[in-house]
Amino acid sequence: MNTFSLAPLILYLPLAGLLFNGLIGRGIVDRNRPKGERLVGWLATLMTFSAFIVSVTLFISLATNGFEAWFVPIMNWITIPAANFTVNWTLQVDTLSVTMMLVVTGVGSLIHVYAIGYMHGDPDFSRFFTYFNLFIFFMLILISGSSYLMMFVGWEGVGLCSYLLISFWWDRLDKNGIPANANAGRKAMVMNRIGDFGVLLAMFLLFWTFGTLDYKPVFDGAVELYKSGQVVQFGGVGVPIATVLSAVTVLFLLGVAGKSAQIPLYTWLPDAMAGPTPVSALIHAATMVTAGVYLLVRSNVLYEIVRDSGALLFGLISTPDLVAWVGALTAFFAGLIAFSQNDIKKVLAYSTVSQLGFMVAAAGMGAYVAAMFHLITHAFFKALLFLGSGSVIHGMEHGHHEIAHGHDGHGEDDGFDPQDMRYMGGLRHKMPTTYVVYMIGALALAGIFPLAGFWSKDEILLHGQTHALLLFLILALAALGTAFYVGRQLIMTFFGTPRHAAAEHAHESPPLMTRPLVVLAILTILGGLLNVPYLTAAQAERHEMHPQGFWLLLEQWEEHSIPAIELSEEGVVHLPHTPVVFSPVVAGLSMLLALSGLALAYLVYKGRPKTYSEPDRLARTPIWWWSILPLNTLYMKYFVPWFNRFAAWLAFKLDGEFWHDFVHDRVIRDLFVNFADFSSNVLDAQGVDGIVNGAGSVTRRLAGVLRLTQTGYARTYALAVFLGAVGLLVYFLFMAN
Amino acid sequence: MPSAVDINWYIALSGILFVIGALGVLLRRNAIILFMSIELMLNSANLLFVAFARHLGELEGQVLVFFVITVAAAEVAVGLALIVAIFRSKKSINIDEINLLKG
Repeated sequence: MNTFSLAPLILYLPLAGLLFNGLIGRGIVDRNRPKGERLVGWLATLMTFSAFIVSVTLFISLATNGFEAWFVPIMNWITIPAANFTVNWTLQVDTLSVTMMLVVTGVGSLIHVYAIGYMHGDPDFSRFFTYFNLFIFFMLILISGSSYLMMFVGWEGVGLCSYLLISFWWDRLDKNGIPANANAGRKAMVMNRIGDFGVLLAMFLLFWTFGTLDYKPVFDGAVELYKSGQVVQFGGVGVPIATVLSAVTVLFLLGVAGKSAQIPLYTWLPDAMAGPTPVSALIHAATMVTAGVYLLVRSNVLYEIVRDSGALLFGLISTPDLVAWVGALTAFFAGLIAFSQNDIKKVLAYSTVSQLGFMVAAAGMGAYVAAMFHLITHAFFKALLFLGSGSVIHGMEHGHHEIAHGHDGHGEDDGFDPQDMRYMGGLRHKMPTTYVVYMIGALALAGIFPLAGFWSKDEILLHGQTHALLLFLILALAALGTAFYVGRQLIMTFFGTPRHAAAEHAHESPPLMTRPLVVLAILTILGGLLNVPYLTAAQAERHEMHPQGFWLLLEQWEEHSIPAIELSEEGVVHLPHTPVVFSPVVAGLSMLLALSGLALAYLVYKGRPKTYSEPDRLARTPIWWWSILPLNTLYMKYFVPWFNRFAAWLAFKLDGEFWHDFVHDRVIRDLFVNFADFSSNVLDAQGVDGIVNGAGSVTRRLAGVLRLTQTGYARTYALAVFLGAVGLLVYFLFMAN
Repeated sequence: MPSAVDINWYIALSGILFVIGALGVLLRRNAIILFMSIELMLNSANLLFVAFARHLGELEGQVLVFFVITVAAAEVAVGLALIVAIFRSKKSINIDEINLLKG
């Protein structure tokens, strides 16, 4: 069965949805609220779900046509006949892009359904779904394009959608009267621009070197240049290909840091939580932020060439190693920052940064399939967690609403915030469905067997263990931290007793919201099956001999897009992947880390905080704890306060005051604002306007002088003619020749 | 054919007539007198044409004089008509009063 010609439909369907909702959706919703909402919401969902169906047919087509990449031309974008230059828009349907399509449209459809319930009653209901379809459209352009250029079109498009959706409630002011949502959107835009500039420069370099931006010619050309040892000419200076690719890959890393929120550009992602929760789930957890990981995986050939050549960046570190280190450090530090967050969504936001760090680290270590595996499972469980947190917030808001109207002693304003975990507690009895699915998602995030997160994280740790011990240790610590903040969040949200009247009156969310959660929970439970490792090496070998078995593993599926290349004289050899063999030691360690993280969280936060105003256990050591065990005394008296101070310092001083407030707000933002100010008030008002107005006033003044010569007396003109004649006469008689 | 009068006398006379005409144009205000002065300048040029034609024994100069007389006649016709029209509206032919094109 070959249905590749259907591929453009994945773009046209969301486009149709967004045009319909964008042009007439508002009118429909305004005319008849409940029915209109249903039509607009379900139409957008249907379009995304149809795109998912198309993705599934593409998947089947690939599986039955030998997994080879298939190119579907859509149109000629730019043609310059004189230069023999064309830019085509072609879809590249290969195992990698289809994987991403399935994730984006599949998880996207579920989140669409959820959003119908979540956005119910919002005055801008149709605008929301227009943006949502626009996002799906651009994300699919990003994934499906066969060149870096089309990827960049999608890259910018999803950035735009991210901006639009973060500042969706742009007119809401926070307690200080600051338009925080609009500011958060702008911050995301500016941070992403910094990364995009890296991608652009990298594309210029690639185009200079290869004369094209299509993936296949670029990769083939890179391998050929590398093997032949030719140099690339830069204005008479010959540069080895490995050096060029080092520059390209490090510039790509800048783009990845922007889009996938890695150190040093991650700061926009926590702020992005200002958007509606379905946006956080779809864009800022499951799909858009993984675009950076996709870029890394897609460019695997370039990174592998740099790794093979041993070219070092500034003589220090090779770019794939740099990628791995950036990822690992991000995973670790973002996890630490999550410890001190009280906002339920902020915890998840830093957790997303941390998990993206895992993926980037995996890609940097050359474990591209592991990165993709974690990307997929993370899309499942993080979407589940975000939607679950949305359900919790929804329930808390309703509870607060109820007490504000029902009782009269509770109406006082006590700084209640429906997203603040300190006001929650005991919600497992109030919101049983949400509790169960949230638990599944959280345990998957912590890496508990046999949920999806266990398998994918384990695979990354396995690669880390064989790659570099220090990286492995950092990643293992990050995994421990993950389990700890997950446990803290679970205890603060669902366990103990309600700490605020709103939590006592919280309700379960409507079925429209909880059903997608259940589907995602099932995916989270089963997701690990996508790439279960082999139990023994012998089994792996057996499978390698007969790959057409019943079970198609992600590893074998992706190897058609992520070939292991041998950069030797014989040419590009597509090697079968080294299959992942189950390692009891690593798996045991990862389980141990997850369990001890959860246990630690239980020990520290059991029954805590007692009231919503009680300081965090990590922030102040309780006295009663000291007296139980001497070891605990030591631990709680010396280690915990020190650690608290360190974590708080990291979170508030280094990350908050230094990085967010100083570097980003003062340096980058103020620089930007001042430059814009300078452009507007000096360059434009004085420079450009000066020239234009100056031309006018000089002409006027000159005319004022010249008009005096027009006396209106015929004799003056006659005299002028006469003098002119005399002048000519004098010239011809005495001067000429 | 030897001439009774030297060519230089003709040139001098022509020059004097031209200067009288030019000064008349520049100094007088009466439009009729202005016209007469222009005629004087044209005729000084005619005199010079004729004198040189005779001096050089060629006919082109004489022919040109006929053209000049024709043009002068046309000019006088148009000019006098203009003066009459101006006099009808302004009751004056003082050219200093005709200064509507003052800048």
